Amino acid sequence: MKKPTLKHVGAAVGVFAAAAMALTGCTASNTSTADSNQVVHLTFTNWDGGMQAAVDQWNKANPKIQITLNKPSGTGYTLYNKLITNNKAGTNPDITEVEYQALPALISSNVVIPLDKYLPDLSKNFSKSSLSQVQFQGKTYGVPQNICPMVFFYRKDVFDSLGLTAPTTWDEYAKDAAIIHAANPKQYIGNFTSTDPGWFAGLAQQAGANWWTTSGNTWTVGINDAATKKVADYWQGLVTQGVVTPEPSWTPQWSTDMNSGNIVGWVGAQWAPNQFPSVAKDTAGKWVAATLPAWTAGDATVGIWGGETEAVTANSKYPAQAAKFVNWLNNSNEAMTTLITQAQVFPAATAAQSLPALKTPPPFMPNQPDYNTLMATAAKNVRTFQIWGPDANVTFDSYSNAFAAALQNKTPLSAALDVMQSATVTDMKKLGFKVAG
Amino acid sequence: MAIVEDEAAARTSTARVVAPPTARRPKARKSFLPVALVAPAVVLLVLFTVAPAIYALILSFLQMKVGSGLLGGGATEVFAGFANYVTTLTSGEFWAGLGRMLIVALIGVPATIFFATLFALCLDAKRARLVGFTRLAIFLPYAVPGVVASLLWGFMYLPATSPIGGQIINYFGTTGIFFSVTNVAVWGVVGFNMVILYTAVRSLPADLFEAAELDGASELQIAVRIKLPLIAPAITMVALFSVIGALQLFNEPTTLKPLANAISSTWVPLMRVYTEAFVNNSIYEGAASSFILIIMTVSATVLVNVVGRRIAGRQH
Repeated sequence: MKKPTLKHVGAAVGVFAAAAMALTGCTASNTSTADSNQVVHLTFTNWDGGMQAAVDQWNKANPKIQITLNKPSGTGYTLYNKLITNNKAGTNPDITEVEYQALPALISSNVVIPLDKYLPDLSKNFSKSSLSQVQFQGKTYGVPQNICPMVFFYRKDVFDSLGLTAPTTWDEYAKDAAIIHAANPKQYIGNFTSTDPGWFAGLAQQAGANWWTTSGNTWTVGINDAATKKVADYWQGLVTQGVVTPEPSWTPQWSTDMNSGNIVGWVGAQWAPNQFPSVAKDTAGKWVAATLPAWTAGDATVGIWGGETEAVTANSKYPAQAAKFVNWLNNSNEAMTTLITQAQVFPAATAAQSLPALKTPPPFMPNQPDYNTLMATAAKNVRTFQIWGPDANVTFDSYSNAFAAALQNKTPLSAALDVMQSATVTDMKKLGFKVAG
Repeated sequence: MAIVEDEAAARTSTARVVAPPTARRPKARKSFLPVALVAPAVVLLVLFTVAPAIYALILSFLQMKVGSGLLGGGATEVFAGFANYVTTLTSGEFWAGLGRMLIVALIGVPATIFFATLFALCLDAKRARLVGFTRLAIFLPYAVPGVVASLLWGFMYLPATSPIGGQIINYFGTTGIFFSVTNVAVWGVVGFNMVILYTAVRSLPADLFEAAELDGASELQIAVRIKLPLIAPAITMVALFSVIGALQLFNEPTTLKPLANAISSTWVPLMRVYTEAFVNNSIYEGAASSFILIIMTVSATVLVNVVGRRIAGRQH
């Protein structure tokens, strides 16, 4: 905790310099006669690989609005909490990446602003479920960039050798899990991960859960509702039988198991082929994506895991210009083509969902040329919560702790849901939200 | 990080010993020189320690309250009295974390002292060979940053990558995790403490050992009966550092956390402070927890110091 002091000094100096520059910038713009000739410089925080290409493309075409891309020092909630803290100091970037589940928190902290007066009518090019992630109480806070439907990835070679096909229902998944583990006790169909709250939330969405609902200004929290408990109990069964390994994802252990073929399936999401090269590099071309298993045969409903929007901060002096860029980035075919080829994004903008760039599968999936057709179908059947709670960070942290403890101590997973529920409600009440019940 | 303070503490304590008991100085004329010399240190201390501490103290009495409306736009800070302190003190997880920290300390502190003393005495033994190399080898882990050490050990613990039997031994078991975490911490600090004790042993007058040898004492007897009691004050100091180090346990469990289900984000009190402030975005409760911890740390330090002095005093 003591080491960063020098860095802080540096940052403080930087902030001071930036403030000084901003001040001089203001004076300059006040004295200048033709405002339209002024070049507007905007900062944009985003951690996606490949984003620089899109920014370069914009800067070339728009000499009057120049964007500088910054990679944040920390991703996810590290960034959001920093944005909340820096909001008062006025040092936030003009534009920032926000994952859908964090947007309500940033709105309630006044970090981001409504963009309705700057944006065109988004309902023409975005589905209702996409817009529900960025529109709250009739106000639009961003343009959705992508949809990340959950999909099931499996090692086709291993499934074929056992005479199995991709499971279409969760019942079949459970049966396959038992067959795979019986055939080779080292092998598992997948892992139940305590490190991915968004993953479990996506599975709950598919089962019909609604962790947060609102009526008027009152919240109802239902993290331990019947649908979510059904999901928890189902996985509990698989873990207890020992046919699914309870190890967390994103560890050296998990990578080794994924790479060596000890784990032969992954309940993942659209973006998984981006992660595969670093997780299981030796298995390129062996994985195939399939529709997520359903609770009842023929039901195509799936949840989402991840997905982001770009939002404009309250600190921005040029919200109109910033909104213009955000709209171009996520709502234009040219920007989307770049993001598809550079970052394997699956666009939320419906017009972009039939772009020629999507005809090429992600580099890790050369054996599945229709990869994006599958994503397009899945994207149409996405079901999300009505709204993400304003303290999803607390819920997510509570998931990691409570589920890890339950798996470690072999206690019921459904009881961990009660812990999450109470942690979330307590925090919301403490912050002053109206919570029913 | 603790070491910076430790070294400073060590330096001041020696300075106290060396300094003449009474300084006879002519009445100081008003001079700016001492002020100027001391100013940079004071300014830095005020800017980077005192001021943030005062700010944290203020924060610990505040709370965030959202405005009206569904998403409660316009959140404001309000005075919360002792609410944050009460929340921390009544939180089962805070005390559970403190308990886990104490378990690690109970294993780690004696282990550190034992191994540091053992290595120091062995290196000082007459028959010891390759002393310089061995001393460096034992000291080297101290140069490895805690996070790197934890990652390194984490790889050794995980079954898939373990060269030390992680396939058979569950290093992330409910009991095993305490030893796994302690092991990383002890591995890192034994070398440093060994150097302190070794220096203490080396500074003992050699004629004592010669006399003992003439009286027929074996090497082992000299080590246990003569050297050990004489370096008791140094051992006390090492114990003090170890206790303070244990209270600051953070790097090792935080780095090991994502590797398994065994460690929660509130596993030890400092991790809870971090989670409160930077994950749950309640910097207020984090500040309150920090102050409770500071009070506990200072009390523990004073206690160890007093007890240590008593023990050392009795032996003289």
